[in-house]
Amino acid sequence: MRGHEMEHVLEADGLGKRYGARWALRDCTLRLPAGRVAALVGPNGSGKSTLLHLAVGLLRPDAGAVRVFGNTPYENTAALADIGFVAQDTPLYRDFTANDLVTMAGKVNRRWDATLARTRLAQAGIPPRIPVGKLSGGQRAQVALALALAKRPRLLLLDEPVASLDPVARREFLRTLMGGVAESGTTVLLSSHILADLEHSCDHLVVLSSGAVQLSGAVDDIVGEHRRLVGPRHHGEPIGGVAAVVRARHTDRQSTLLVRATGRVTDPSWTVHELTLEDLILAYLSDGVTEATHEAWGVAA
Amino acid sequence: MIWLTWRQHRTQGLYTLLGLAALAAFIVPTGLAMRRDLDRLVGQRCATGGELCDRGMNEFIDTYSPLLHVAILLLAVPLLFGLFWGAPLVAREIEQGTHRMIWTQGISRRHWAWTKAGLLGGAVAVLAAGYGWGISWWYEPLQIRESRFTEVFFDVQGVVPVGYTLFAVALGLYAGTVLPKVMSAMAVTLPAYIAARLAVGMYARPRFMAPLNRSLAIDDHIEGMTGAWLMSTEVRQADGTRVTGGMMVCRPEGDGGLCAAAREMGLRPGAYNYQVYQPEGRFWTFQWIETGIFVAAAALLVWLAIRRVRRVA
Repeated sequence: MRGHEMEHVLEADGLGKRYGARWALRDCTLRLPAGRVAALVGPNGSGKSTLLHLAVGLLRPDAGAVRVFGNTPYENTAALADIGFVAQDTPLYRDFTANDLVTMAGKVNRRWDATLARTRLAQAGIPPRIPVGKLSGGQRAQVALALALAKRPRLLLLDEPVASLDPVARREFLRTLMGGVAESGTTVLLSSHILADLEHSCDHLVVLSSGAVQLSGAVDDIVGEHRRLVGPRHHGEPIGGVAAVVRARHTDRQSTLLVRATGRVTDPSWTVHELTLEDLILAYLSDGVTEATHEAWGVAA
Repeated sequence: MIWLTWRQHRTQGLYTLLGLAALAAFIVPTGLAMRRDLDRLVGQRCATGGELCDRGMNEFIDTYSPLLHVAILLLAVPLLFGLFWGAPLVAREIEQGTHRMIWTQGISRRHWAWTKAGLLGGAVAVLAAGYGWGISWWYEPLQIRESRFTEVFFDVQGVVPVGYTLFAVALGLYAGTVLPKVMSAMAVTLPAYIAARLAVGMYARPRFMAPLNRSLAIDDHIEGMTGAWLMSTEVRQADGTRVTGGMMVCRPEGDGGLCAAAREMGLRPGAYNYQVYQPEGRFWTFQWIETGIFVAAAALLVWLAIRRVRRVA
């Protein structure tokens, strides 16, 4: 393995997955650098789970390739040893106790830190001898996270881990997660559609919509280079300091633009606004969503 | 993996053992009672022969024939294994999403699937073998009434229950990989199992070996065949044309002529009873052939199921 390839924990090239005729993920190209805590953001059905399932080897790509630490993960137990995965809704055998699950994970993993698992479960206050089906959703998520972390993975993938948790449990979960990976330097890719949590936790962002990557990069860079411009009706002419117009919304006289800027926007006819991460993500995701199907409902638009 | 398989399936194993224990609680006392009465009513009396022997035999048959209905109920036992062991095996994992947890640990899906299929298949085979042996023991005295080679009774004893049970479990397992919902997998396993059993039982089994036949003169004393599988019996004219199904039993009248009842049916001198049958000695041959068919089908289904497991996400 050449050195420069190893800097990227996760690499996808033209990655695609099809269910029947529908592409759940298409032409996805992505680089995730080591040590990042990355948020994978997108609406439901945008291909987040598909991407994660491809990365953990549950699915086999129909197009392109995905590599984790340079290996293709599908049917590759060597690659699996380096990946921790928490699936959506944190599935666990509900009749197993947390203690049973720790024993189980020890039997089905070559690298396994039982002490770490028990320590984390103790810290989270999980009762060891009660079937996990009787625990709260937040507690179950903590159990699933403890199991994933005790594999001592170099890459941790989490599929909507906090979606079904209440705000307190959600904050608690993210705190445990960040604490766990900060110690070990584990790279994290975490899918979510709850944006508010991500800003505090993540330093890397991947925006996925309609099965394609819309945006990918370090959060600081992304926030730093995007601006919202408000000014006169814009007809596509170049604006000084703007590399690209990402989204545009027009009224008769006025245009609101989301732009990627190369430097300062010098044109005085535009008012420049800074963007928060949440604004930015929503702007990227709103594309195509507003095309409401008035016609389909038989009402006037 | 062995620990996981045990931990995950011990509860259903316990219920299965309880079910088989309940069956044993019925079979052992009735089996012992049948043996005692067979010895008292038939064994001791028929050593000398005579009317007392016939009466004893009738008494035994009258008392214990109802137990033959129980044998019909036992046909469902392998199917229960298919529904409750086979169908949920993969379907429940997918239904509850736990396949995404267990298949992303450090072992391959193939390893997971072969270990589970192997351990559970082995356990089920041992249980079925014990069950088949128990029913064979229980049925022995009833053979005086109904040959063990006959349909239904053939199917609940010997080694065929092992074949049926493995097949039912494999069928449930495969159905669960195609229709990843426990209820749907069960709903498909049920008719598919019955269809396969009927197809083999009705069309293939009579043809495992060419049947034998024998012709018997119409008389009031016809030598029976113990333990054979009587496939058809009919009454024929001397030239071999079929007159009716069943058997004509009556005392000949006159000089080697037929009885009045036979003449009324239009039978002419030289008419005879004709039987097609599989002789008793083929019982175990047929048992092993039938078992082989179902074990082979089970192996194929397990292989197909494991191939599918590697594609599911």
